[in-house]
Amino acid sequence: MIRIEHLSKKFGDLVVLKDITTEITKGEVVSIIGPSGTGKSTLLRCLNLLEQPSGGNIYIDGVDILDKKTDAASIRQKMNMVFQSFNLFSHLSVIENLILAPVKLKGMNKQDAQTKALELLRLVGLAEKANNYPDELSGGQQQRVAIARCLAMEPEIILFDEPTSALDPTMVREVLSVIRRLAKEGMTMAIVTHEMDFARDVSNRVLYMDEGIIYEEGSPEQIFDDPQKEKTRTFIQRIRCYTCRISSPDYDLYAMNAEIEAFCEKQILSKKSQHNLLLLVEELLQLYRPYLKTMALDITIAYSEKTERLELICESAGQKGNPLDSQDLSDDLGLMIIRNLTESISYQWLNGKNRLQLLIKTNLT
Amino acid sequence: MDLQTRTENNAIVITISGRLDTVTAPEYEKKILELIEGGNNRFVVDFEQLDFISSAGLRVLLLMAKLLKEKNGQVRLVNVKGNVYSVFEMSGFTTLFKMENSIAAALATLI
Repeated sequence: MIRIEHLSKKFGDLVVLKDITTEITKGEVVSIIGPSGTGKSTLLRCLNLLEQPSGGNIYIDGVDILDKKTDAASIRQKMNMVFQSFNLFSHLSVIENLILAPVKLKGMNKQDAQTKALELLRLVGLAEKANNYPDELSGGQQQRVAIARCLAMEPEIILFDEPTSALDPTMVREVLSVIRRLAKEGMTMAIVTHEMDFARDVSNRVLYMDEGIIYEEGSPEQIFDDPQKEKTRTFIQRIRCYTCRISSPDYDLYAMNAEIEAFCEKQILSKKSQHNLLLLVEELLQLYRPYLKTMALDITIAYSEKTERLELICESAGQKGNPLDSQDLSDDLGLMIIRNLTESISYQWLNGKNRLQLLIKTNLT
Repeated sequence: MDLQTRTENNAIVITISGRLDTVTAPEYEKKILELIEGGNNRFVVDFEQLDFISSAGLRVLLLMAKLLKEKNGQVRLVNVKGNVYSVFEMSGFTTLFKMENSIAAALATLI
């Protein structure tokens, strides 16, 4: 139904979309997720020609919509968009908002348009508000009217651009339930959303966007339960990180401790977790100390708000080797403490770096 | 780290507060070596105000115990609790040292 090939979009020097290639087939519900500023809304706006792409092709039912000979208005009628900020005409009543486009653009008879509008208002549960004005409605009700108005043009596909992000949390559910109903009825939809549970529940496919590309895509199970790429994992599991680089054996332990404490406080980690992290970092630094004359050590503390996993990752260049396996240790006190504080320790030689990953025990935290 | 010493019942009572870690352990080690080399061989170390200990601190305690054993000396640890006690447990130190709940009790066990 929609095929996007090597789509790009620049605003001056700012490249928002680098190279997007994907397809949305009839009846599919595709959720587009990712951090703010990664081009999700720009992608939808390019599909609807609200933004002129800088490069690439978009085909709707085989028709290249970027071809100058293509009638953009007729393409737009196949594809309608629901915006974050509703965009209803405030000087028109609810029903007038719904009949305006079908009468003006599709040449529909006003009576038929009104009958159809009332049907759609019933569908979104707002028939009794037909003669009210947008200002008299709550945010959730206004967004449901916006969805009904979009349906009034009988689109083949609906693009939702963060339909619930301007809403009070109490009103999110009513809008999502209308979108869920449309999905069940087989409407083709592309939804940019920050509602992860909703995206998992309603979609056939999820696109994770980052760095101006579709960074990872898959079924909701693949993306939410088993993301393969690091940035997807960081986003899905709401991972918060603290990183620091130690490039000398004379590192300032107390300055680093203060930063780790601030990180722990920000993530509302318990005092016990904070202590264990500080202890683990110090023990590891003692093991790495002999190597710090010749190479830098990057320490990352990663805390997942979703899974509450607390991990510590040490990355260092230099010779391949796990510092925990070193034969040069004078005793195993440090190792005993490290093993007691952690649930698992894994070592990998990855991209020319030694990577030590430690999962901190949750029963201690 | 702050370290205070006093003599009580022919023993040196050391009160240590703050952190006993990579940064502070050398200072503690130096003080202990001075005391042992000065002929003292009966010690009580009070951890009441110690918030943090790492393996660097444990190593100095081990060294202290070793030196005192060579000189037929004794050491008792007092008020080992909270995070410090957890680290003792992790490293098997709870069985290596005799620990008491008060300085008086510790002094009473020194021969």
